This record gives sequence, C-alpha cells and structure tokens, in this order.
Amino acid sequence: MGEPEGAPPRPPAVGVSLCDSAPLLWRLEDLRSVRARALVGTLLGSLPRTPRQNLRLGRPLLLLPEEERVLSEEHAAGALPARDQQGGDVELKVRQHQEEQQRSYEEQRVLALEDKKSALLRVRTASPTGESRIRTRDERLHAAQQNFGFPPSAMAVQLSTARAGLAHCSESRALLQADWPIRDQNPRSANRYQVFRDLRRRGFYLTSAGKFGGDFLVYPGDPLRFHAHFIAVCVSADESVCVLDILAVARLGSNVKKTVLLCSAGPDADVLYTSVQWSGMS
Amino acid sequence: MGFSSEGKQRLLPEEALYLMECGNLQVFYQDLPFSIQDGYESFLSPSTVSLQQYQVFAHLKRLGYVVHRFDPSLVPSSYTRQLNLPLSRDRAGRQLKRKRSASPPSQSTGDRMQEDKRHLAAPAGSSGTARRTWWDTDDHMERTKRQPDSAPPHWRFSSIHFPDLGSTETPLLTSPDPSLLPGPFPVGGCDIAPWRQKINLRKVKMSAKDQERDEDKHRHQRDINKDREVQQCRNWAEYRELLVRRGRRPTRRHECLWNREVTPLHDPRHPIPTAELLEKIRVTQSTHLLEGVSSIKGSDEWRICFNVYQPDLVAGFKKSNPGKPYTRMCVCSFDGPVPDLRAIKLLTFQSGDVPVVIAVVDQGDISFYTFKDFQLPVDVYP
Repeated sequence: MGEPEGAPPRPPAVGVSLCDSAPLLWRLEDLRSVRARALVGTLLGSLPRTPRQNLRLGRPLLLLPEEERVLSEEHAAGALPARDQQGGDVELKVRQHQEEQQRSYEEQRVLALEDKKSALLRVRTASPTGESRIRTRDERLHAAQQNFGFPPSAMAVQLSTARAGLAHCSESRALLQADWPIRDQNPRSANRYQVFRDLRRRGFYLTSAGKFGGDFLVYPGDPLRFHAHFIAVCVSADESVCVLDILAVARLGSNVKKTVLLCSAGPDADVLYTSVQWSGMS
Repeated sequence: MGFSSEGKQRLLPEEALYLMECGNLQVFYQDLPFSIQDGYESFLSPSTVSLQQYQVFAHLKRLGYVVHRFDPSLVPSSYTRQLNLPLSRDRAGRQLKRKRSASPPSQSTGDRMQEDKRHLAAPAGSSGTARRTWWDTDDHMERTKRQPDSAPPHWRFSSIHFPDLGSTETPLLTSPDPSLLPGPFPVGGCDIAPWRQKINLRKVKMSAKDQERDEDKHRHQRDINKDREVQQCRNWAEYRELLVRRGRRPTRRHECLWNREVTPLHDPRHPIPTAELLEKIRVTQSTHLLEGVSSIKGSDEWRICFNVYQPDLVAGFKKSNPGKPYTRMCVCSFDGPVPDLRAIKLLTFQSGDVPVVIAVVDQGDISFYTFKDFQLPVDVYP
C-alpha cells in the first residue's frame, strides 16, 4: 500500500489506542505513516511467526510521550474506537463470523485433500510401476476421496492483531477525528519535549536512551540504518548541575563512542546544546 | 501455565495474552474472537497486570523462563524458615523440605553417637565438661571404695576406675558407699542390661576426611586440662581464682594506664592474633542487609511481581513441585524513583534466600538490576 500518490493535503489520522495509559499503534498503515514522519517508537508484541525470541518484535508500537505529543500537535492522531463503542449488531457479526469460518473450512478441506492426493501420488511414483499397480492406485485415490475426513478442529484459524473492522477498508481511516489530546504536561516533560521537537526539526531520529543513562538517543537517519551519534541529556538552563553527573555521562559517552549533548531549553523555543569532551593532555 | 479452580482450567490474563500472541490460543467474547488488540486493552489494567509488568512477563517467557505470579502468603515467614517448619499450604514445599531435611539429622545423630562413644570409651582423666557432674557419683563411688577417708576431695582421675558400661563384663553396678550419699537413702545395685540393649553400640565409621578434620580440630585446641596449674585446682572457685590471678599479673609497668576511667583497648603484653586484635579495636561494626528489618514497617510502594523459575530443561521444573524460584522479579520504570534502602531491605527480607531482581522498563527496553549485600573482604595475615 504505502502512502497514496497525490495525497490530500492532510494524510489520514493515525489511530492511537490507550492501554494502561500507554499510547499504542495497532494498524499497519499507521505504523508506516508514523515512520514516514520520522517517529520511531518501540515494538512490543511477539512476532506471530517466531514468537519465542526477543530480538525482533512486532505490533503493537509504543510511542514515546514526546512522539505522542508531536502527533497531537500536528493534528495527526485520533483515538481508535473502543471495542464496545464500535457499534453494529452483535448477532449479525456472529453470523458473519460463522459464515466466514465455514467458507474457510471448505477452502481448507479442498486444499487438504489435494495435499493428501499428491502425497499418495508421490509414494506411487517412488515405487516401481506396473499395469495392475496403476489400477490399484486409481482405486486408492478414489477411496481416499470418498473417505476423506477433515475434522473442524484441524482447521487453521487466523488471529488478527489489530481489531477487525476499521483496518480492512482504507477509506474509513479518514473517518478518525484527529483530535488526540495533549496529555502529559509537567515542567520536566515540557523541557524534554522542547529538546525533542528541536532535534526532530533538524532531521534527527530519536529514541529513548534509558540504557545509556540519557534522555534521547539521536540518530542521523533511520535507526535501522545508522548508529546513534549523540546521547541527549536534558538539563534545565538555570539550575546548577552536579559535576560528578557530568563526568559520569561524559565518561560513558566516550566509552560507547557517542557524543554527550547537554540540552537545555531556552526561553523562546530554542535549545542550547553543549557537549563535553574529555581531553587527555600528556 | 494456567491453574484449575472449581473444576475448570483457567488462565491468568497475562498468560492468556501471551498465548494469544504466540498464536496458541483463541479467546472468544460474545461468540466473537478477540484480536490481540482486544486482548491488550481488556486484559491489561493497573488493577490486574500493568502493561509494564506484561512486558517483563512476555520478555521472560520468550526467553524460556517459567514465570508465576508472586503470592506473598506462600512465602514461608522468617519464623517458619528459622524453624525449618513444613509449609502447610503448599504440599510441594513440604515434600521438598522433607527431602532436604532428611540428610542433616542423620549426620547429626551420627555426631552425637560419636560423642557418646567418646564419653563411654574415654579414659577417666579427660572429664571436665558439664557431663562430669553426671559421672561424679560413679567416680566417687569407685574411688571411695579404695580410699574412704580423704577429707578434702582431691580427685586423681588417673587412678579412679571408670565403669565401662559398654563392655559385657559389668551387667550390674554395685550399690554406692552409703557414706557418700547425702542422706540415709537405700540405694541398691543397678542392672544395666536392659539399658544396654537400648543404646547403639556399633562402632562409628568415620570417613577419612572426617577423621582428618577431627584430628585437625584437636591439634589446634589447647587442652586446658593439660595445664599444670589448672590441674592443681580442686574446685571451680580455685580455678576462678587462678584465672583472676592470671589476668591481673601484667599490671606492673604501665599500671598508671589502667588506673583511670579510660583504659587502653588492649594490653600489648597479651599476644592475640591480628584478626582478633583488629576486631577488638574496631570502632564501627559493619552491618548486613537484613539487620533490623523486623522493626521496619512494610509499605505497598514496592512489591514483588513474579517468581521466575529456570526452564524445564535446566532444572527439571515440575508444576506440582516448583521448588525454590530462580529469582523474584520487581517491575518499575525509569520515570519512577530508585528503591531506597528501606525498600531493598524489605524486599530482600520478604524474598528470603531467593535473589530479588528489579526489572526496569524503558519503553521497549528492559534492563535487570540487583542490589546485593556486600561485605568488604578482610585480608589479615597473622
């Protein structure tokens, strides 16, 4: 799919749903369009094909609080309808679901029969052939077709990741009201957000940097293609900082070959960046 | 995973959601299948399992660990642990306890037997412990047979015959000398044959290692009874006097130092090992993590979420008998505070001898931290 050609001035809103007050994205198109806005987020879910590993994860995508706020300030996010307010007749849906299951069962039955037949043929061709053998083979095939049973419990079912309904028809995405509220508003996060927005404006990709003891990891491009160059640490411009903290982050930054940026939000939406370098003089 | 109650197999919300994500479970609500999104939104809430707790749960499950919810009531209390009582609620725990406690008692009875044997077989000179009072009457009895009039009792143990109750020759103890008894008590002889049947007379077999250790112990122990002056003491009062005399002896040259209220911590003429000396002049005592926990009031701010067991292959995990967890897990995030010493003490105390790991969730990344009690190593060369 991707972004439609000749898109309307405002692309369709990204559907966000709250789970335990964390903003999650579920639909594939939303993930794509968010990435196109240079927002990274974090994948949380197990990959359906390879669920028992932690290296590659799948949907849902968890947004940083700053990413969520960017989306809502750009009027690009809307709430996904909750399960109970999705509307529609439950009985009708149950009937639709059962019909779908029945259809899927028929399809799978045909495929399973084909499978069995080809398996029988393979066994035949592997052994030496003869006139009488061919006849028995035909008989066997016939018998297999007659007696073939495909129990409903053997049917494969699909577990949908995102809630069905809206995800199927792309035009319904436009129906989402792009009215996601700005939820998080304390002074510390305001400072962080100002830094986030400024760095993003300069074309950087940002992710959370808890494992490096900073606020953001700053990538020059998509994190899948680049290493992070900077560790951004947000400090207030008018508060004194403990020198040991500065030394600790500077030391850490030089150990992981990244530059530590001390970022302090200025008065009018600008940000002051300072980097600390350990200069060995010998 | 799962548990059964009221005859039904049930799943906890986090387990159901994890199985859904693995594609092993389909959940129906109002005859319609749940999507994984529905699962996240319906199963996870601050009152049941938070998203962060589920992230940690799923992370550990994907790594192959067996993760159970932590139930504080199932952890044996410190009292139970101290007494090694069986857990009443958890059958599995009891089995484990029984298994574990099976070997030490047998060993300790072995030790005791050994001890008894030593007492039985020991030559009469070596008594000097609390047991002596028990044997005194016999000593008396035997001794007075030969020297009935020795006004101040100065026992020469080497000459006193000690009845060997283990040998078959003396099935009957003769009655004691009436002059030794505190009053006119008629005391007859004592037939020890029935008693001998009850005691275990088998020789204790010590392994080479035990024997070595035993000898080692004896070598390092200075036998106080070999001391000439101590041997001359006739009773405890004299012995105590001797001790006082010995303790007072060095007050000759630096007497002035000991005359005042403040005295030196140690008298240099008493040689003691360096380690003991350091211990003696230590000003602050080092404390350990569990000290004073019982007086701390509990709080709900920090609680253990999960018991984590090693996967089946490594530890042979059995659900009916889970045994001791590998670790216990707390969940928090970088936005919250760092646990203070009080919280760490409480968590460690609650968990007993199982380590507590704190899982810190930062968006998708989960890092694991532990706070450990650390004792500074002491290197003392005597």
